[in-house]
Amino acid sequence: MKIIIAGAGSVGRYMADQLLASGHEVTLIDNDPAMARKTAGGKGVAVTLGDACELDTLTRADAANADVVAAVTGDDEDNLVISLLAKQEFGVPRVVARVNNPNNEWMFNDMWGVDVSVSTPHLLTALVEEAVNVGSFVRLLSLEQGKARISEVTLATSSPAVGRSISELGLPRESTIVALVRDGHVVVPRGDTTLLTHDEVLVLTAGDAEDAVREVLVGSKQTPAGS
Amino acid sequence: MAGLFRRKAAQANHHDSAADDIIPIAQVQTREIVRVCGHVTRIRQRPAQGLPSLVVTLSDDSGRATAVWSGRRSIGGIGLGRTLVVEGIAVQTPDGPTFLNPSYTLLNVAGH
Repeated sequence: MKIIIAGAGSVGRYMADQLLASGHEVTLIDNDPAMARKTAGGKGVAVTLGDACELDTLTRADAANADVVAAVTGDDEDNLVISLLAKQEFGVPRVVARVNNPNNEWMFNDMWGVDVSVSTPHLLTALVEEAVNVGSFVRLLSLEQGKARISEVTLATSSPAVGRSISELGLPRESTIVALVRDGHVVVPRGDTTLLTHDEVLVLTAGDAEDAVREVLVGSKQTPAGS
Repeated sequence: MAGLFRRKAAQANHHDSAADDIIPIAQVQTREIVRVCGHVTRIRQRPAQGLPSLVVTLSDDSGRATAVWSGRRSIGGIGLGRTLVVEGIAVQTPDGPTFLNPSYTLLNVAGH
């Protein structure tokens, strides 16, 4: 696949190396000649020097034929402009954008051409929450702008799900348990798998099913952590 | 954004020949600038978490397309039943080809 990465900072350069190693055709854009030179020392990554927020730069990087554009600069405004241009002017099928300040995350949606946004601070918060919280519902990952989510619950002793098998939980149709972590081992869940206290339950929910799933796995109503 | 303005300028200059390269919605290809013409059959306002946007469904004999203008609640002249020419790059979505902030031309007057 042809991938354009805007922003040749540590994030952009790391991505470029990884994606190149997986056999993709990678172009990095940066307006800082020093950054661009650092990259050019590497093998096989094409570098376009210029401001990725300008149409001409994206044209030179051949965005018209790119399968993916990743806007990963350290500046949220730039990432939004790059995403919008990639989608609006070049119809790039998949636009990925980095959110630097979680307060800006609400803007990273399809109105700005963003298909997937990744917020590092948000991800870190969610992982910390996941490590310390027993018995609460932690959102780990949003897909398709929040239409589907993967969440995690470590079952507390008080959870109504403890001691019951998955098929008798009565989970909504728009949700499924995708994995259980029990004593450090991953258990692939089946309908007859019985849930135990301290099981880490990974659950995929779509649409509005989240409240119902929380009711089943946690019990009483509670505000979601890490939203 | 320069491309959008260039397209608008080009469109203004060649307004008389605008009908020449209009294609049926069913034949819209992605990744290239296309021009389609259709009736407005549906208008929605989408307050996407604080950012308003106008979502317009265009229909011609061959199919339906969607045009999305972000940051707008309405656009003067765009109403149900109007005929629009829309130009831009389309992305395939479940709602058919979708144009993000395309340039547009109003053709007729509503109700006439």
